[in-house]
Amino acid sequence: MTTTTIPTTKAVLSSLLRADFTTQWRNRKSVILILLIPVIILISWQGLVNKLGGPFVLSNCITIGLNAIGLMGYSNATARDRDKGIFQRLRVAPLTAWPIMASRLTVQLAMILLLTTAVFVAGYYVDHISLSPAGYAVGFAMAFVGGAVYLGLGQAIVGLIKNAETVNAVTRLVYFVFIMVGMFAELGALGDKVGNAVKWSPYGTVKHILSAGMQPATWNQHSSMALFVTIGYALVFSVLGIKWFRWSSK
Amino acid sequence: MQTTLNTIVLQVEGLHVNYGAFQAVSNVSFDVRAGEIFGLLGPNGAGKTSTLSAVEGLLQPQSGHITVAGYNVKENPLLARANLGVQLQATNFQPELTVAEILQLYAGIHGVPLTKEKLQNILVSIKLEDAAKKRFGQLSGGQQQRVSLIIAMIHNPQLLLLDEPTTGLDPQSRRQLWERMENLRSNNHGILLTTHSMEEAEAVCDRIAIIDHGKIIAIDTPQVLIDKHRNDPEVISVSRKGKITLEDVFIGLTGRTVRS
Repeated sequence: MTTTTIPTTKAVLSSLLRADFTTQWRNRKSVILILLIPVIILISWQGLVNKLGGPFVLSNCITIGLNAIGLMGYSNATARDRDKGIFQRLRVAPLTAWPIMASRLTVQLAMILLLTTAVFVAGYYVDHISLSPAGYAVGFAMAFVGGAVYLGLGQAIVGLIKNAETVNAVTRLVYFVFIMVGMFAELGALGDKVGNAVKWSPYGTVKHILSAGMQPATWNQHSSMALFVTIGYALVFSVLGIKWFRWSSK
Repeated sequence: MQTTLNTIVLQVEGLHVNYGAFQAVSNVSFDVRAGEIFGLLGPNGAGKTSTLSAVEGLLQPQSGHITVAGYNVKENPLLARANLGVQLQATNFQPELTVAEILQLYAGIHGVPLTKEKLQNILVSIKLEDAAKKRFGQLSGGQQQRVSLIIAMIHNPQLLLLDEPTTGLDPQSRRQLWERMENLRSNNHGILLTTHSMEEAEAVCDRIAIIDHGKIIAIDTPQVLIDKHRNDPEVISVSRKGKITLEDVFIGLTGRTVRS
């Protein structure tokens, strides 16, 4: 008498994680690109650190990196795999859907950890920016909260658009707009009106909680409100992204 | 569940699948037995892929009853899928992973322990012992199909779904795949095969069902279908070689119109 074996969640997750981390490792060129832009900004802004402040520079670089992870990395990889039928192939195995996405999100969390560490290390050695231990700890925590906004936004775009090439084009456009408008508005180059709008945009709130988190003593009511809005963005984008998402592009 | 010859490994009863107002599958019923290759044939858009997707649990049918190895696909999806091996039409694997890594992934998610020795044996069995470190995208079409088939079989399922497995293969690779299917049949696996090749259906299938506009219009062994319809005027009118073939019966029953 043969019996039917259902694999344990641990076995399923460990297999998926190993495959997803290997895939990410083999795509290390795109990982390097994600890390390169924030590090280039750190190097090129060396002279501005004293004027703008270390946390401002670091938070800016991390926000740009988080944008790249959520919008360029995660969404494009998800759209490509959906297009190739990789998700459908996994879904006919005896497993529920959540470990497939949990494994992929774990890889993205590792990417956020890597990015934040790289920016802190480069900031320390290149720009001589040092934070308190609490500043580093809260900085990491805020990077994860901020990362959730862009992962959620990436998920929403993949949910809304089925074609992988269109996803690629749209995410590049959104990334470019976020970075350019966000950075210039933060520097005061786009006027007060745009500056205020950007302050409460996904770019502005993430940047603010990162910057305030790196100097916990300066955390104020505006910071709490920015954190609240950031969590709201993450929830709304994720819920819509999950609701709209289809496993097949056909 | 122990399978013996004639044990039903797939039962589909009264299946209905709709996409909005469009009825893709209407009241489809058939079964596949252990040790049988069952062909599901139909023109493009006839409802084959929708039927397979419902069996795989990838879509929720409007109504109907599907059991795999005795497990209801809706009530016990994991148990049903644990007894199901699938080679999808658009099957693809992460192009960054090597053949060995893909085998390890699918063994892991099916709960099959895969030692180095077992992995090597699998690779030898599909004549890819030198390709363990090659990425899937670097393999030829025939090699990719062999990997895909062995992955569908990695957990020794009672039922195999093969969705147009020989598309794009050269005659040698196609013959080799037919032999593999016949070996699986002799090992008492049930196989549900979709194909556009009537030659293939005639060569390997024990029974076939012809589906058109979402409905099964004929179901029997290839020879009985040919004998039953050899005098139909539509079948005679499409015959090309004076001898009635399964393809003539198929076109006679489903019409000459090219489907998109």
